[in-house]
Amino acid sequence: MSRKETDLGSAAESSRVKGTDERMIPTFCSLCGPSPGCGLNCFVKDGRLVRVEGMKESPINNGKLCPKAFASMQWVYSPQRLKYPLKRVGEKGEGKFERVTWDEALEIIASKLKEQKEKYGPESLAILSPQRRSYSDYLYRFLMAHGSPNYGHSGICAIQRFFGFAYTLGTPRIVADYKHADVIVVWGANPVYAGAPMGSLKGILDAKSKGAKLIVIKPEMQPDAAKADIWVPIRPGTDGALALAMLNVIVNEQLYDKDFVSKWCYGFDKLVPHIKKYTPEWAEPITGLPSAQIKEVARLYGTAKSACIHAGNAFDQAVDSNNAVRAVAILIAITGNLDRPGGNIATMSNTIPMPKSVHLKERYTQEWVDKLVGPEIARCFQPFIEGTSSAYYRCLNSILTEEPYPIKTIIAPGTQPSIITRGSKRIKEALKKLEFMVVIDVMQNSSMPWADVVIPVATMYECDHPFEAPVMGKGNWIMARNKVIEPLGDYKSDYEFWLDLGVKMGYGEDFWHGSIEECMNYQLENFGITMEELRAHPTGIIYKPEPMVYEKYEQIFATPSTRLSGDPYLPEGKVAIYNTTFEKNGFNPLPEWVEPPESPTGTPELLAKYPLVLFDTHTTDVYNHGWLRNVPYLREIQPHPWIHIHPETAKARGIEDGDWVIVESPHGWIKVKAVYFPGIRPDTVMSVHGWWQGCDELGLPGYPILDGGANVNVMYSTDPEKAFDPVVTAMPKQTLVEVRKA
Amino acid sequence: MGKQYGFCYDVSRCIQCRTCEVACKSAHDIEPGIQWRNVIEKWEGEFPNVTRTFFSLACMHCASPACMAVCPTGAISKRAEDGIVVVDRDKCNGCRECFAACPYDVPQFGSDGTMQKCDFCAGLGIEPACVASCPAEAIYYGTMEQLSRMTDGKTAERLTGPTGPSVIILNKPGASVIQSIFAGQ
Repeated sequence: MSRKETDLGSAAESSRVKGTDERMIPTFCSLCGPSPGCGLNCFVKDGRLVRVEGMKESPINNGKLCPKAFASMQWVYSPQRLKYPLKRVGEKGEGKFERVTWDEALEIIASKLKEQKEKYGPESLAILSPQRRSYSDYLYRFLMAHGSPNYGHSGICAIQRFFGFAYTLGTPRIVADYKHADVIVVWGANPVYAGAPMGSLKGILDAKSKGAKLIVIKPEMQPDAAKADIWVPIRPGTDGALALAMLNVIVNEQLYDKDFVSKWCYGFDKLVPHIKKYTPEWAEPITGLPSAQIKEVARLYGTAKSACIHAGNAFDQAVDSNNAVRAVAILIAITGNLDRPGGNIATMSNTIPMPKSVHLKERYTQEWVDKLVGPEIARCFQPFIEGTSSAYYRCLNSILTEEPYPIKTIIAPGTQPSIITRGSKRIKEALKKLEFMVVIDVMQNSSMPWADVVIPVATMYECDHPFEAPVMGKGNWIMARNKVIEPLGDYKSDYEFWLDLGVKMGYGEDFWHGSIEECMNYQLENFGITMEELRAHPTGIIYKPEPMVYEKYEQIFATPSTRLSGDPYLPEGKVAIYNTTFEKNGFNPLPEWVEPPESPTGTPELLAKYPLVLFDTHTTDVYNHGWLRNVPYLREIQPHPWIHIHPETAKARGIEDGDWVIVESPHGWIKVKAVYFPGIRPDTVMSVHGWWQGCDELGLPGYPILDGGANVNVMYSTDPEKAFDPVVTAMPKQTLVEVRKA
Repeated sequence: MGKQYGFCYDVSRCIQCRTCEVACKSAHDIEPGIQWRNVIEKWEGEFPNVTRTFFSLACMHCASPACMAVCPTGAISKRAEDGIVVVDRDKCNGCRECFAACPYDVPQFGSDGTMQKCDFCAGLGIEPACVASCPAEAIYYGTMEQLSRMTDGKTAERLTGPTGPSVIILNKPGASVIQSIFAGQ
């Protein structure tokens, strides 16, 4: 299939092509997720990607990119790229491999899976979830075809918030409407480092310039907090306590929308006595915030004509999670900010058709739910919006405990169990004991040493599928991926891997008998277009946005849940301030406060030895999660793993700016560089998730993944009694530490 | 005399995302250790009453470039048509007098020893990559006349100094804060 340069239309005309020896090929980025990818114009010279620019035609990013995308060339051509499939030849953990062909590798995997299906049952397979990708539903499809419910979702991302919003407000996604807001609250989120080109950042800045007040709630003054009218320097893991105290103020001072509450809320009368004890004075020692500031923020939010809350990952990564999210949902509802301009909007429909899902959700039965090895969401609430899911950590833990049964094969696509979940020491033991492991990635990764088979896959530049389409209701653009360069080695794409494996397993009926083109065309049926026809629009097709309809309360509150019963999220057809569904299933019907496993107010006996709070962030200006440290443009901006520490806290310990320090918790220790940071709580230090990788070009090292390295996931509790939210997992990233010069 | 081009920074919008830094490096294939554009920051105050301000700075394309005045080989010149200050690296002898003279520490020296710096993307014949790439729309470019008209009536200050930098700072805290950063040099 060939395309003429002239097909590129306005994209080529408006772009700047240096000289005549560069071809411009539009595609979309996949360096992050889960949102739709930013449109990219790629410039190729002699078959080599030489530079990228933002694509103006994409409504996702309107021509903008982030620093990570601009470093793509170095990423694609990194010496650490996996070039061909590998089979383990040494001991597990040794990292000794020999090269095999794609077909041989799939043959090894298929025969092992068939053997284990026979011997242990198909549920002995778990596929660990990467950051949500456009291939995530293919992982589900394979599990469905095979007979395992064990999609190992992280337990610490997005789903935790969606769950609390769904069961309180009737819809999992409520988007902050910055454009019309008088008050914007950014709470435990990062609109600067995560998806800056995608419009939220500009939305917040534009709103500010028109007079909106910006409140940012987080322990350190990241750049968004630097732009805030009020920075609320909350202690890590205590967002739920602040939300309860804000509810206390808003209820006591009657700052709530009485009409909305009486017409659309269930259980407000039960909230009133319940919230009495959660005063700002109660919250002060827990959150480390002056009660006066708590009152100020509550009053600003409560009295604003329109106010929105953008709640981020902090809510997914604290044991208080389901309580904290519900408290925030109740704040949104009772202040009359649900589905109103400037508030939090429920997007219920779109003019753009939905692609046909490849998930096979229609095959779920109760047996599927019962077979989960370690539910991410409490079993009684499964399946949730993405399908049945076991918690990532629980899949791995079952290998050691053999309860309720052991997982026997882990497939890890684009994810590194060795470092991305809590309790890396325990995980390492599990990986050593695990019978069979497959690692799928574009780059060598930290989990490879325990793999039996390593499958390389194509980057987004090296394949011509799939198509980009709205994700989780976001976006009104569909575009076929265009191949930019030929694969650098003997591999295909993630999508092709699952089709090929499906065929090898005898599930060809469910995998289009291996035809990726038919797989794409199947999904596009709702658009009335084939992949070939879609390619005739090189920068895609944009659908007009649906005119906004507000206050769709009858519709929102009647939404059926994704449970097999189809019962609505909200049995009373109103906001579930008092949650009878939770009550029926043995969970607290009103949000409460739960301390992190280690905290100044929860475990004060630890403070003598560990006086500081440690937390971490998963994304920075140049890094995502556990990767990109091997990219020179990015690594030279952040060459070493670090903690941010208040200068006075450091000086009290004889630590100078830039000193290497040991940070020790009750569970482990890391060695990182101390960075003086005036804008962090003096009782708190912040580190970065996912440090392990070296950069060959700069001669900068990688780090061990256990004690003495820079992997912050050795630091946190995995105590089954303390480190899991009983409803949504949400393993915490807060602990107590001491810091000393190395 | 032709027009003088310059940059305008809206300090109320810059959020140190580093996109301008990497877009510039990527557009010009700049080697490790060298950055033509840098997003610097200034902290003031004591926790919790701290402020953190970011400035994205490259070459100032001064009206009277100090670098050009001291260059012994004539490698540095100021274009008549647009006031952009450029260096001919073939003529540069790596003496570093320009670095000593520049009040803003702009000249840098890579593995080949010659001076390199922001050329307003003139060499590439494109609009400045930093301006095009900024997701926060915090950097603008134009003639100083255009930029003055654009910022008329707003909180804006042209950066002052003996070399006549072609830079306007928009919104708080203002050019005086940036000047205080360079005062020590």
